Amino acid sequence: MYKNRKTGFLGVFITIIVLIIIVIFSNNDNGEASFFENVANKVIVPVQNGLTYLKNKVSGNNTFFADINNLKSQNEELQKKNSELEQELREMENIKTENETLKEYLSLTEKYGEYKTISGYVVNRDISNYSRTIVINVGSNDGVAKDMTVIGDQGLVGHVVSVTDTTAKVQTIVDTSSSVSAIMSTTKDSIVCKGDLSSDSELRAMYIPTDANIIQGDSIETSGIGGVYPKGIHIGTIKKVVSTQNITDRYAIVETAIDFDKLTSVLVVTNN
Amino acid sequence: MKKVIINIILVILAFVVYFLQLNFFNWFTIANVMPNLFIILVLFIGLFTNKNLGAIYGISIGLIVDLLTNQTVGITAVVYGIVGLLAGIFDKNFSKDNRITIMFIVAATTIATESVMYLLHFVILNTNVDILIFIKILMIETIYNIILSIILYPLIQRFGYYIENEYKGNKILTRYF
Repeated sequence: MYKNRKTGFLGVFITIIVLIIIVIFSNNDNGEASFFENVANKVIVPVQNGLTYLKNKVSGNNTFFADINNLKSQNEELQKKNSELEQELREMENIKTENETLKEYLSLTEKYGEYKTISGYVVNRDISNYSRTIVINVGSNDGVAKDMTVIGDQGLVGHVVSVTDTTAKVQTIVDTSSSVSAIMSTTKDSIVCKGDLSSDSELRAMYIPTDANIIQGDSIETSGIGGVYPKGIHIGTIKKVVSTQNITDRYAIVETAIDFDKLTSVLVVTNN
Repeated sequence: MKKVIINIILVILAFVVYFLQLNFFNWFTIANVMPNLFIILVLFIGLFTNKNLGAIYGISIGLIVDLLTNQTVGITAVVYGIVGLLAGIFDKNFSKDNRITIMFIVAATTIATESVMYLLHFVILNTNVDILIFIKILMIETIYNIILSIILYPLIQRFGYYIENEYKGNKILTRYF
């Protein structure tokens, strides 16, 4: 095959070295930023940030030329609503302080009370059709570490799989290699929500107990089992139940609360 | 000297393709399926230069993609490297003037690459397998890739023959008969 024996050996040698390096890379699973990953990010991220900014500007501009009269009436309505809401807020605050004092009496530990969060923006989406990871613009310099939970404004987004100095890769819950342990909020039956290739906003709820009652429209939240996600984060609602011949095989389709197509800002939970 | 300039252009092209794939084709999709420009790029680099350069460009582009977006490092690098290598090896077996041939090559490469990557992801990351949906997405992606490469082929061909003359010299005469 080779004309020259020496170059043949050299080729095999170089290939083996490259393969070893790749194996070391792929098994480097401690979540710390590798040198090469950081270098690649330093080159790409500034350009990427600029492009993302441009894209957000362009896509936000289509509402700019809306009808002014429409806006005026809307403004009045919103002001009215605002005053109402402020009143409600004051009432709520009263209730909150009351609640806290009562909790103190009961000496409840506030384990899942409030999350400390870091906010970030989505800078990259996945370039493949078969996996759904996102890259956000906060990294280990901001205090993000591996396995931290990422939430959006409406519910669970995913967890951090690797961090560099300025960015973090997040595996979303709709990724095909993701599975989340969850419970149905009314019946408290535990299920496992797995990512599905068919849609960006649907999960497949598997391992439903045979005696469980599934209610359409029931909300699903994390169970806290597994240790990655804290308990009680909203995931989505049950869209439909698919029953099969064997009752152990039946599954439900869960619609996620987050619209992953339009996800732009996320929060990283730092204390779980 | 010419080779240096060609390589600089190829590297810049790789970055342009990266940003195009990430920003433009994320939005410009057919039924929510994007094309894979990296496969087209590596394939044509392999076809128009030689197998060594094809493999080197494949591995480097794959590594960049892996480091920046994927969960594991290595799968894309190895697969794209093999694409570049095979494109360089099988280059002399057909004429690059025929568009039908190019269509078939792009289709076969896309299908093979994505299938191997899906299999490797299943083995390493334990993804949930859904064969029918995978085939559906793969078909749309293949068609999209074919359309793109056919539209862009006059450009690719002109630049490609320029590179080929530089790398293979006058050894290739079949083109002129």
